[in-house]
Amino acid sequence: MIQMINTLSTALLAAQDAVTPATFWMPEGASTVSADVDWAFMFVTWVSYFFFALIVGLMIVFVIRYRHRKGERFRTDGMTHHGPLEALWIIIPLLISIAIFFFGFKGYLDLAQPPKNTFDIEVVAKKWQWSFTYPNGAISTNMDGLFVPAGKPVRLIMRSYDVLHAFFVPNFRVKRDVVPGRRVALWFQCDFPTGEDASKAYNFFCAEYCGTGHSNMGGKVYVLGETEFAEWMAKQANWIEDIPDDQLYQIAGPKLYAQCSQCHTLDGSTGQGPSWKGIMDRISAGTGKFTNGQSYADIIGPGKVYETPEDYIRDSILNPGRYIVQTFTNVMPTFKGQMNERKIDAVIGLMKHLDQFDSKGKLLSGTAAK
Amino acid sequence: MTTLEAHKPETLDIHASSDNYLTHSKGFISWACTLDHKRIGVMYLVGVLGAFFVGGIFAILVRTELLAPGPTIVGPFAKWMGMDPADVYNQWFTLHGAIMVFLVIIPSIPAALGNFILPVMLGAKDVAFPKLNLFSFYLWVIGALMAVLSLLMGGFDTGWTFYTPYSTTSPAGGVIPIVAGAFILGFSSIFTGMNFIVTIHKLRPPGMTWFKMPLFLWAIYSTAIIQVLATPVLAITLLLLIIERTVNIGIFNPSMGGDPVLYQHFFWFYSHPAVYIMIVPAMGIVSELISVHSHRHIFGYRFIAFSSVAIAMFSFIVWGHHMFTSGQSALMNTIFSAISFSVGIPSAVKVFNWTITLYKGNISLNTPMLYGLAFLFLFTIGGLTGLHLATLSVDVHLHDTYFVVAHFHYVMMGSALIAMIGGLHHWWPKITGRMYNENWGRFAWVLVFVGFNVTFFTQFMLGSQGMPRRYYDYLPEFQTYHVISTVGSYIMSVGFFITAGYLLASLVNGKRAPANPWGGRSLEWQCPSPPPHDNFKTPPRVGDCYDFSIVRWSDEENGYVVDRSLDPSLRENPTPAKGH
Repeated sequence: MIQMINTLSTALLAAQDAVTPATFWMPEGASTVSADVDWAFMFVTWVSYFFFALIVGLMIVFVIRYRHRKGERFRTDGMTHHGPLEALWIIIPLLISIAIFFFGFKGYLDLAQPPKNTFDIEVVAKKWQWSFTYPNGAISTNMDGLFVPAGKPVRLIMRSYDVLHAFFVPNFRVKRDVVPGRRVALWFQCDFPTGEDASKAYNFFCAEYCGTGHSNMGGKVYVLGETEFAEWMAKQANWIEDIPDDQLYQIAGPKLYAQCSQCHTLDGSTGQGPSWKGIMDRISAGTGKFTNGQSYADIIGPGKVYETPEDYIRDSILNPGRYIVQTFTNVMPTFKGQMNERKIDAVIGLMKHLDQFDSKGKLLSGTAAK
Repeated sequence: MTTLEAHKPETLDIHASSDNYLTHSKGFISWACTLDHKRIGVMYLVGVLGAFFVGGIFAILVRTELLAPGPTIVGPFAKWMGMDPADVYNQWFTLHGAIMVFLVIIPSIPAALGNFILPVMLGAKDVAFPKLNLFSFYLWVIGALMAVLSLLMGGFDTGWTFYTPYSTTSPAGGVIPIVAGAFILGFSSIFTGMNFIVTIHKLRPPGMTWFKMPLFLWAIYSTAIIQVLATPVLAITLLLLIIERTVNIGIFNPSMGGDPVLYQHFFWFYSHPAVYIMIVPAMGIVSELISVHSHRHIFGYRFIAFSSVAIAMFSFIVWGHHMFTSGQSALMNTIFSAISFSVGIPSAVKVFNWTITLYKGNISLNTPMLYGLAFLFLFTIGGLTGLHLATLSVDVHLHDTYFVVAHFHYVMMGSALIAMIGGLHHWWPKITGRMYNENWGRFAWVLVFVGFNVTFFTQFMLGSQGMPRRYYDYLPEFQTYHVISTVGSYIMSVGFFITAGYLLASLVNGKRAPANPWGGRSLEWQCPSPPPHDNFKTPPRVGDCYDFSIVRWSDEENGYVVDRSLDPSLRENPTPAKGH
């Protein structure tokens, strides 16, 4: 009995039981809205076929039938106007337009309104990289791909650090501009797992022109089954544990710095926050001041607030608002929960060995461990 | 009373004399300081066609680069200019777009052909403000020079839309000069529009009521209204952009407290009407081409005239359909989608009316007519694919893909520019006094028509399959369509080079053109080819400009003549019928 109800409800609820195959016009459709969008697209396309055939057909027939031969008197029996006929071809296109508008509007409501209980992923776009932060703190970039659970509505909460970008997944028929200064949302649901196989995963693109790297600012969307996704997310959050201790900052440093690079430069230029160039020397010198008037020397040292410079840096990552370096403001979010001790060690390692990295935080080739 | 006197039956001298507008005075100064609308029109024509050549070169570079994923031909350019290969491509497509929109399509029909034909069609000696006319031409020249200057200062890679905050933060050195250039070109456009509005209001000959005007004039009039009302908004927007870039006042850049979506609203508030600045005059030309070469009264004159005005008015309230994915509210998207469909109605009315004009016509497949028919074919595709993009849910998928690129090329190039080239062939004998070779004309038309469809129809599929626009590099699965598209662009280019060849050749060895080679009925065909300095020696009489019953072939003129003896009612009553 229960089995019967389950089968019945699955049959009723499932909008489709497989991805819609690619056609001449549309790529494979894999989201819960794609079939509806395709239907509206094909409806308009068939309307277009009809009117194109009508107009071009009449044009060809008339041109052949009413060719003029030189020297002939012009026939003048063609009508010059016909009110009812002209009214007819105002009314018919109007009715068709209203129908098309309605189909597009109906589909758009589904796109614009995410269901309740979405699985939320934080997305940051910047020239020319996407980074995705999952609820457990796991992070992936467009190089790794976006990983989403199958059969759950997924909501991307997106912001841009610089110019306009747009997140576009053709197979899901969704697109949204990422406007700097705003947090925008896009949602989709895909019911069909692709696994971690890049050849089966779906492409996503940046669709709003953003400069040099625009055409390479894309990647793959992997749709994983529920347990598979949970495993992936846990593994992704703990990636740092798998790195050997002696290569920790060299391997993990660049990846972690990518999250800091928008505000902290490595080349000495001023960003939203202090540059990391020479940061260890500045702290040791002790003269730098905070907005509350105290200096490094006042708070760092045996018996003071922080016993070591490393302790000060660790706390700046976890409680960034406690001491603000002069001329800067309290804008840094806390990384509590996202940065464990090992990640903090890797970041401090990077700060101590900046000579091994280039100004973008990439490990210089000669210095790679062993 | 004076009106009646002016309308005594007279015979117009249609024979070309050695004293025409080309020979009236000589020397560089006589052209550079001319107040003759015909010479200004010719200078615009030379400038616009020169810019079309440059913009076309960039189009070919872009298409060639897209033959394969990754760098194809940008390498040497990147090395030479010391730039990233992707930036070279980004500059190419930006230059192609900016040149074609601001220097070619917007001025092509109103400023070049309109300047030449409009006063002649009115039977007037010139436009209302000849000095302002020359001034707007020089503004066009300054705008074009600013584009060159921006290239010398490092070019620009913002896309022709100059979207912020990319355009206010782009390191490219030529952004300010090109934006200033577009600002100046805007004023050129505004002055031309004002001039035409006043000319049509004040210089219509007695007897030519509004509903006796050739439809080309209705179209130019509707266009002029958009030019005068919409272009100032572009000017303000571009000025704000320059201010933001130079003195860092936050208007559009959120890091300085501005709003990038505000820029998009401002930009499209001009640039959507600007789409109609490009297409409405093209529709006017097509009304002439189809009617004159079918030698058949245009069907539904009033509907076509009013639909031009309707399109001009609707064009101001649909700009938001460029921004369905931008972060505009869902309610606004819905409203803009609904209004956008309404623009389709007057366009559909025109297409049906042109088609029925062919019915029971006397169709001569001259080269201009072939371009008129090509317009009908291409505009139908361009217009119908506009329905896909006005449909909200479908547009979310298609926005910023090649589908949009294909759609606006069908409308901007396949319609506006093809009509312009049709108009150029239509009035070429009038402008130059020479006939071009019809066989070469028809052959080149085939190449342009086939090449165009091969180039751009493939881009519909590219886009709906998910290929985003403005991409220097692309995934291998898109390559087949890209290769087909590029081959099409080469076919089309060959067609255009042949066109340039036979048109230039006609200046040297073309047959002398009769006053009326096609059998037209409007006033410009009752004036010699090329027209004399003052257009008409005696004021012409105005009839129904689409009544071809009194047009007949004349062997001794080797052209058509308007023969009033063919209509008994005209013979008995020489005064023109009163407007109704």
